Amino acid sequence: MTWIARCAAMTLGLLGSAAPAAQMPTAEFSAPQRDYILACAGCHGLHGVSNPHLVPSLQGLAGYFLDLPKGRAYLSRLPNVAFSTLSDEQLAAVLNYMVFEIGAGSAPPGARPYVAAEVGQWRKRPLTEVTLSAYRRQLVETLIRRYRAPAALRGYGTDLP
Amino acid sequence: MSKSPIDQLGERLTRKLAGYSSRRSFLARLGMALSATPVLPLLPVARASAADAPKTDFERYAQTTDPTKCTYWKYCASDGVLCSCCGGGSHTCPPGAEPSPISWIGTCVNPENGRSYVIAYRDCCGKPICSAGKSCFCDGGDRELPTYRSPLNNDIIWCFGKASATYHCSTAALLGLADGARK
Repeated sequence: MTWIARCAAMTLGLLGSAAPAAQMPTAEFSAPQRDYILACAGCHGLHGVSNPHLVPSLQGLAGYFLDLPKGRAYLSRLPNVAFSTLSDEQLAAVLNYMVFEIGAGSAPPGARPYVAAEVGQWRKRPLTEVTLSAYRRQLVETLIRRYRAPAALRGYGTDLP
Repeated sequence: MSKSPIDQLGERLTRKLAGYSSRRSFLARLGMALSATPVLPLLPVARASAADAPKTDFERYAQTTDPTKCTYWKYCASDGVLCSCCGGGSHTCPPGAEPSPISWIGTCVNPENGRSYVIAYRDCCGKPICSAGKSCFCDGGDRELPTYRSPLNNDIIWCFGKASATYHCSTAALLGLADGARK
């Protein structure tokens, strides 16, 4: 191959082992979806469903917490959320993905998306000084009794069948 | 009206420039520069700067052909016995064992295209530990974090959420691309 032909082939991407790489799955994720998968999905499941007794289910449920200001804050004050290595912007985007896409149909009508400044403030006050299971239980009971949340929110923390 | 010294200097320089250069030579040089531009990003300097991070020890020896070896590219953070040595596959459990619904998720670089992929490290559970050969016991640790960052730690037996928490072997399921995320 002449120098000119080699240059032309390089420019057109004809050299190298492109064929095996082309067989790789090419599923591409949105940035918040990728961050959710890398930071949350191992336990919560790719689609927000795992073992509901051990890990809270998010699918069709996560948005109910936005019925209450305390519930809205709760999601960004959870220790693994607040201590995440993601930036405030990335974390706000992940929370919105979790609440409005994975939790589709559960957020109250007209619920505002999370913004970085809000998440940045809440994550400075992680829920480490409370008994987290009791804090959640109380919040969930309020959401079920006074708002529209379904009883399925109670599933987490109950004994394995 | 006499010319100002600045005008005279400008005229002298312009005439001198016109004397030893031509529009044709300028066009030739411009053409060379333009045609070389697409090749420049392929030079090693550009490729080095495009890489996200220096290669890890695992990545230097990673291969894409034999999933029964610890060097198989998807096992960059596998810590345990490979299910592919135990009657299962790189992402499937052997008969009688079942995947844990909870796993930890990391990324590995495919050496064929240099791209980063999302990998779910799912343990297969419900049977005693697989007694495969020593070469099937792997200890990859790329992008793993210490135990106090438990969601990203591979020393944990990830057999939660099933009737039996007995560990049998480890798989590495490919979920998709980790780089080049859509906005």
